Amino acid sequence: MSAKPRVLIVDDEERFRTTMAKLLTVNGLEVTAVGSGKAALEELKAKPYDVITLDIRMPEMSGLEALAEIKKVNPGIEVIILTGHASVDTAVEIMKLGGYEYLLKPTSTEELMNKIDAAYERKLNREQKMRKGGS
Amino acid sequence: MGFRQNIIPYIASILIALCAVILAFTGSLGMAFAAIVLAVLTFMTTRKLLQKLAAANAQTYFLDEKLVQSQKLASIGELSAGIGHEINNPLAIISQETEWMQHLLKRIGESPSKEVTELQDSLKEVLRQVDRCREITQNLLDFARRKEPVFQEVNVNKLIDDLSRLVEKEVIQHNIAIRRDFQQDLPLVQTDAPSLRQVVLNLLNNATYAVQKDGKIRIATKSSENGSVDIIVEDTGCGIPKDYLTKIFDPFFTTKPEGKGTGLGLSICHGIVDKLGGRISVRSEVGKGSTFVVTLPINQQKGMTPS
Repeated sequence: MSAKPRVLIVDDEERFRTTMAKLLTVNGLEVTAVGSGKAALEELKAKPYDVITLDIRMPEMSGLEALAEIKKVNPGIEVIILTGHASVDTAVEIMKLGGYEYLLKPTSTEELMNKIDAAYERKLNREQKMRKGGS
Repeated sequence: MGFRQNIIPYIASILIALCAVILAFTGSLGMAFAAIVLAVLTFMTTRKLLQKLAAANAQTYFLDEKLVQSQKLASIGELSAGIGHEINNPLAIISQETEWMQHLLKRIGESPSKEVTELQDSLKEVLRQVDRCREITQNLLDFARRKEPVFQEVNVNKLIDDLSRLVEKEVIQHNIAIRRDFQQDLPLVQTDAPSLRQVVLNLLNNATYAVQKDGKIRIATKSSENGSVDIIVEDTGCGIPKDYLTKIFDPFFTTKPEGKGTGLGLSICHGIVDKLGGRISVRSEVGKGSTFVVTLPINQQKGMTPS
């Protein structure tokens, strides 16, 4: 288990994802950024991640579709939805699909870092419980 | 009732009374008496019918106005949500780029030049303005949100009491006194508590803003025989000019200075109260204060009869 969370940013807005990747990296996280749900699924096959930040409105595969697929590939991964398009219905759908948190853009790096830390801690706790249960 | 409608019963009964006089002169006293009785009955019946007609007209006018306002709010709501969403994405990029620039400036060193300090100050201001925009887009999204109310029996006195005590903690330092006049036996109201809370809080905040300092806010409740309850928020603030009274529930209408309000608060309140099956009204006098009244049906199925 790595000491700092491995984060995958999924957002079709290139400038947004690259700058966010830089900001999270200087805050000590291990970050990769991709531009679509499909690319995220490919990336998950290649490398393990702890937390994903996922946009909702993306071409080809929407964030909700991507969330459902991601949870099929890796149910233990924590997904934070980061979107400019908020609605109560979407929030409910996200929670049903197993999303961890829902953040409305624009958000500060500090706020996002707090959410990522909390999501990572939750993932570690769950894994610890599973190990105890298995032993 | 209009002047023309007012004089109809008088004219009709005067004409019949004239007939009675003529009949009396011709010696038909019985017929004359009958004509006088007829004149009185005509007067009373015509007047009553005309009053009912006027009330029905007023009700139709009120419903038309309500419908126009609801349609206006709905279409502006859709537009606002679109704008809010579209603005959030570029705002996110502005915010992040600014944070990145701040990070790069920090790398320059422990004792930055005057120019760098000024630049850092400007970037902080950019972030403050992004926050302001975020608040606006959040308000737009709240305004547009098609949240369906969940009706439950609510103790309105308790809900308002809790909120007023919360606001009281803040306003007491400005020497604003909050007076509570609750009808003790107020019936439970079938309504959506979170939505109602939003409305009351907004009205209390507006009242606080109007008073500024050294004044009074009165919050009261009372039930009516027509199956409704009134929530009254009264302040001794600056008041609203007569010309503005018809516009204050319009989206984006605000009398607050730039940066102090988006002009959506009362529109949101109007939209919520509408969904709760009630109505909101205001009366105000410049220099003396304003009174907002939220009228809600006690029972959603039965509704409330027009007052």
